Amino acid sequence: MSTRTINHIQDFSWKRFFLQWEWMLILLIIAIFTMNSSLSPYFLNYISITDATMTFLDKAFIVFPMVMIMIMREIDISVGSTVALSSVVMAVAYNAGVPMVLAIMICLLVGALCGLFNGFLLVKYKELSAVIVTLSTMILYRGIAYMILENQSSGGFPMWFSFFGWGYVGTIPFILILFLLLAVIFVLVLQKTIFGRHIYAIGSNPIASRFSGVKVDRVKLIVFTLAGLMAAITAVFLTSRMGSTRPNVANMYELDVIAMVALGGISTAGGKGKMLGAILAVFVIGYLQYGLGLINVPAQSLLVIIGLLLIISVTVTNLRMKGKLKKKTSN
Amino acid sequence: MTEHILELNGITKEFPGVKALDNVQFELKTGEIHALMGENGAGKSTFIKVITGVHQPNEGRIKLEGEEITFQGPKDANAKGIAAIYQHVTNYPDLSITENIYMGHEKINKKTRMINWKEMHQDAKKLLESLGSKLDPKTEMSVLSVAQQQIVEIAKALSSNAKIIIMDEPTAALTHRESEELYKITERLRDEGVSIIFISHRFEDMYRLADRVTVFRDSQYIGTWNVVDITNDDLIVAMVGREIKQLFPDKTNIIKEEVLRLEKLGQIGRFKDISINLHRGEILGITGLVGAGRSELCQAMFGIEPYDEGAMYFEGTRISIDNPTDAIKLGIGYLPEDRQAQSLILQWEIKQNITLASLAQYSKNGWLNEKKEREIAKELAEKVDVKTNSVFSLASSLSGGNQQKVSVAKLLTTDLKVIIFDEPTKGVDIGAKSAIYQIIVDLASSGYGIIMVSSEMPEVLGLSDRIAVMCEGRLTKVMGNEEATQEKILEAAMTKEMAVH
Repeated sequence: MSTRTINHIQDFSWKRFFLQWEWMLILLIIAIFTMNSSLSPYFLNYISITDATMTFLDKAFIVFPMVMIMIMREIDISVGSTVALSSVVMAVAYNAGVPMVLAIMICLLVGALCGLFNGFLLVKYKELSAVIVTLSTMILYRGIAYMILENQSSGGFPMWFSFFGWGYVGTIPFILILFLLLAVIFVLVLQKTIFGRHIYAIGSNPIASRFSGVKVDRVKLIVFTLAGLMAAITAVFLTSRMGSTRPNVANMYELDVIAMVALGGISTAGGKGKMLGAILAVFVIGYLQYGLGLINVPAQSLLVIIGLLLIISVTVTNLRMKGKLKKKTSN
Repeated sequence: MTEHILELNGITKEFPGVKALDNVQFELKTGEIHALMGENGAGKSTFIKVITGVHQPNEGRIKLEGEEITFQGPKDANAKGIAAIYQHVTNYPDLSITENIYMGHEKINKKTRMINWKEMHQDAKKLLESLGSKLDPKTEMSVLSVAQQQIVEIAKALSSNAKIIIMDEPTAALTHRESEELYKITERLRDEGVSIIFISHRFEDMYRLADRVTVFRDSQYIGTWNVVDITNDDLIVAMVGREIKQLFPDKTNIIKEEVLRLEKLGQIGRFKDISINLHRGEILGITGLVGAGRSELCQAMFGIEPYDEGAMYFEGTRISIDNPTDAIKLGIGYLPEDRQAQSLILQWEIKQNITLASLAQYSKNGWLNEKKEREIAKELAEKVDVKTNSVFSLASSLSGGNQQKVSVAKLLTTDLKVIIFDEPTKGVDIGAKSAIYQIIVDLASSGYGIIMVSSEMPEVLGLSDRIAVMCEGRLTKVMGNEEATQEKILEAAMTKEMAVH
């Protein structure tokens, strides 16, 4: 009974291609590089750039699942505490005689369990908001870390363990290789798989998703567990770089991560944003911090600059959406 | 005093890419009820927004009581005595009736500069009484029924001395009895000199209530008639632009073997003892008053809220369905009543909406094949005849009827044997209605078992092979189409209600 033909091939449009927030982030990175190299003659060489990269990449692993969580209109502010708890458990386990490889496994397991517990609470008690649930577990996980280690530090890891934080494969830092590898995987999973499509669907309309047969609870559980697991990976790199750990490590990491995700163009209203944007935002904030450090900008001013950058980016991305909406809902 | 309280001439309103109103005119007499009709997308909503000052027209003149005026925003229109009441009442559910009525123009005690609650409650009570309502103005808004909330909205309009009240599909969510109440109130308002613009898809609203009717089609003014002078058919031609010879298609479906059977299905507090079966190729209509438990029954069959007792058999085997994923896998699909909340993702493209329930078919090990996805979406969008140029258009850009077609297309992507349609033509214009009826009959003809839940009597009678009537959570009657009449259905729909009172 069809009477019309409906177009299903979209013409490529340069305008649409360049009207993506990701280009803005790339321009920002170029601007920051230009600024950094004019500030310090030592910046623009391979060693200092890789050095800089290694210092800010550890927490960036959490950005991947946080993008998924925020697209689902949820949030997880317990990730910093998860880093601390899994790091402390790893160190204590090793010092209690557990082989290092096994201690790392335990670290990953603890992280995943922390995330799974968040997901479980959210799925089981639907009336609770993610902010409150993960605020509670943020305090809880940090508290457990303090109970285990009190205010001591724990370290003395085998030599090879420092490879995670300091090691190179050829001339490329190991952490960068792993980060880029995971970045490719996460980009593909979010944009090209059923799982990724379901994440966007849940963030856009959870009820319609359920009516369409999307297993909403299962997707949430998986993504929150992933957040815990990635926090544990951060714990491994962070502990390796520092050589020892304390219960107060990774303080405020959750806020840094959320800032990177927001700068990446992921809307807190859910359903919108791309993994690539957040990945670029990691480098924007990372190199900006490093560059300002080069010219000895005090830490307080650094916070002011990043805060302002965030306000601008959030305003711009939201205005952009509002403009689109206005056009679409007219009539 | 002029005869016309409101006159609009040559109104044109353009949005980027669309002309939502094209040189339309409208005249409202003082103290009349004027029906405004037209299909979805005809421009009625935009027109209302022009009158209420939400939109400023690009061209044209608005005359209020003979004086030319321009509105800068809704507040201007409100100050001039124009108020609108919408189908989805926009209010503050956690505040009291009084607070809702006086929101924005609270009564202030001149001396203390504080809100004068006593006076506000008293006046609210008087307003409600003048509308024939005995509601306590201190009641919280959220505990009221839709009909009661609308009365509060009307009271709110009157509290700001509205001379013109616009009602936008006020009866869409009301039962017959509640509609009758609303008609009476509307007539009383008219007798007191208020002029009313009444928008509705229901012909019976117009015949019962309106003095004159104006029709819009495709953003243009078609004409204005006295209601007594226009026939049903003429009105349809005016609205649709062509004759709909037959609203209901010829039934070509053949009833075959049983596909689904419910035995004493029950859900605590919702429905009880439901035993009925469905055959391949059959259209089973389920009707009853709002709140009879029809949607709850269907949602239980689809696994949204699992049933507590009884059993379900699918092709002879006992099944248990815990969630919609199970139901779809077995072959049971559900078209929800509220397409915007429960079916579509409005900010998504048509393509992604159509494929959401069936992504596994266009993927390998979880990786999507977007080319195949696009092709299937195109094929199905064409099959149900969605009025769009491209599968990349956003669902939000479609009219209600076409959104509904996208919802239907989405069901067709999965391998189903039973489809449950819950109020398939709610809020859909007459052209799309007839298209959806055709789709339902075609699906039955190709062997699907169809359950159609509907409150619209003509639809139930015109399409169903068998009709099941529910009342207060129980099945009160199942009858074949040939023996069914409006009277019999109504009687069965009220059986329990009468027994109780």
